[in-house]
Amino acid sequence: MTQTTNPVVTLTGACKAFGSHQVLLDVSLSVAPGEVVAIIGPSGGGKSTLLRCLTLLETLDAGTLSYGDLVAAQSNGGRIAYASTPTLKQVRSRFGLVFQNYNLFPHLTVMQNITDAPVRVQRRPRDEVEAKARDLIAEMGLKGCEDKVPCQLSGGQQQRVSIARALAMNPEVLYFDEPTSALDPELTAEVLRVIKDLAAQNMTMVVVTHEMGFAREVAQRVIFLDGGTIVEEGPATQVIDHPREARTQAFLSRLAD
Amino acid sequence: MPIETMFQMLLEGFLVSLQIFGFTLVGAVPLGVLVALLRMSRLAPVRLITRVYISVMRGTPLMLQMFAIYFAPYYVFGIQLTPDSKWYATIVAFIVNYAAYFAEIYRSGIQSIPRGQYEAAEVLGYTRVQTFFVIILPQVVKRILPAMGNEVITLVKDTSLAFSIGVAEMFSTAKALVASQVSMVPFAIAAAFYWVFNFLVEIILSALEKRLAYYHD
Repeated sequence: MTQTTNPVVTLTGACKAFGSHQVLLDVSLSVAPGEVVAIIGPSGGGKSTLLRCLTLLETLDAGTLSYGDLVAAQSNGGRIAYASTPTLKQVRSRFGLVFQNYNLFPHLTVMQNITDAPVRVQRRPRDEVEAKARDLIAEMGLKGCEDKVPCQLSGGQQQRVSIARALAMNPEVLYFDEPTSALDPELTAEVLRVIKDLAAQNMTMVVVTHEMGFAREVAQRVIFLDGGTIVEEGPATQVIDHPREARTQAFLSRLAD
Repeated sequence: MPIETMFQMLLEGFLVSLQIFGFTLVGAVPLGVLVALLRMSRLAPVRLITRVYISVMRGTPLMLQMFAIYFAPYYVFGIQLTPDSKWYATIVAFIVNYAAYFAEIYRSGIQSIPRGQYEAAEVLGYTRVQTFFVIILPQVVKRILPAMGNEVITLVKDTSLAFSIGVAEMFSTAKALVASQVSMVPFAIAAAFYWVFNFLVEIILSALEKRLAYYHD
C-alpha cells in the first residue's frame, strides 16, 4: 500500500444503514496524493453509497471523514456530527465527482457547464477560469464544442465534459462513479483514455468500476467491497489476478463468464 | 349607434380587461413560485396550510372569491368600502387565485427535474438558492411553458368575470350595449377582441418555446 503521512482523504469506521439494511459496516479508506484506487464489487455491495458518503451526498451514521486538515464528520459518543456549512463548502471544493450519467446541466453550454461553479461558487476571476476551461477542453479532446449544449454531444463527449467540469474546481481528489457504465464500448475507451492520462499526471482518483482491465492497468490499489465491508484490498494485480478471499474469487469468476 | 362608437366603447373596456390581465400576471407569476416552494416545504404544517390554500382557490369559483375579498374588509374589520374597493378586490382575487394554479404548474415542473441535477449542483458547492435559480428554474421554465400557455389564455377570458362585481371591463360594456342597442354586434366585437388578443398570446408563447428549443434533455 502506498500510504504517506498526509492522505488527501481519510475515512474511518464508516457505517451507513437505510432502514434496517446495513449498507456500509465499519469501512475505512485513506487515499494518498497521486494514488489511484479502484473500488470493485457486486451491485448492492455498497460501492456507490461509499462514494456518496465521501462526497457528502449521503450522511454517515457513524465514522470519521476528513479531507486533509478539514474534518467533515466525526463520531463522538455514538452520534455523528457534521462540520458547519462554511467548512463543508471548503470540503466540497477539495473533491470532484463524475457521475455515471454525467448530470451535466442541459441548458448551459459546455463552456458554461465548466466555468459556472468556479466563478459563482469559488468566486475565482472569470478570465482565469475561462483560460483553465479552454485548457481542459483541449485536454479532453473537446475543441470546437465550447458553445454546444450537452444534447449535441455523444455520451463519451458528455462524460469528458463532466470530467472537465469537476477538474475546473481544482479538486485534490476526483471520484468516479461507474463513469463508463452508460457508454458503448468505443465511447468507453475514449473516457478511460482520459482517466489514464489524468493518472499519468498524478491526479488522485477513486474509481468505482466494472472494467477490470482498466482497474488493473490504472489503479495502484484495488478494494473489493461486498456486503458493506471491505473484503479484500491490495495491489491491483494481486486482488484482480490472484484474489485471496473466496468472495473476491467468486465475483471475479462471475465477471469472466 | 354607429359601429365605430361601439367599437370605441368596447376598446375602452378592453383596456380595463388588459389591466386586470397584466396586474394578475405581474402578481401571480412570482407569487406562484413562492406558493410552489411552500407547497414543497420540509415543514409539514407549511405544506398542509399551502395545500388547503390551493384547494380553496381551485375548488371555489373565482367570482365568489372576488365577492369574499370585496366584502371581507367591511364585515371583518368594519372598514368602509370606497368606489375603488371593487377594483382592488378584483385584482387581489385574480392574483391569489391564479397564483394557486401557477404554483401547481411550477411544482409539476420542479418535481420533473432529475435528482442528479441537484446532486451535481450540491457536489459543485452551489447553495440551495443558487441551485434553484441557476440550475433548476431555467429548466423548469422550458418544461412548463405549454401548461402556462393554457392558463394565460384562460386568464384573458376570465377577466370577463370582473363584470359580476361591477368593474367596467369589456364584457360589462358589451352586455350594456347589447341591451341598449338591441343588437348582438357588440358581443361579436367583444369575441373578436378576446380572440385576436389570445392569438397574439399564442404567437408570443410559441416564440418563447422556440427560443428555449436550443436544447432538449
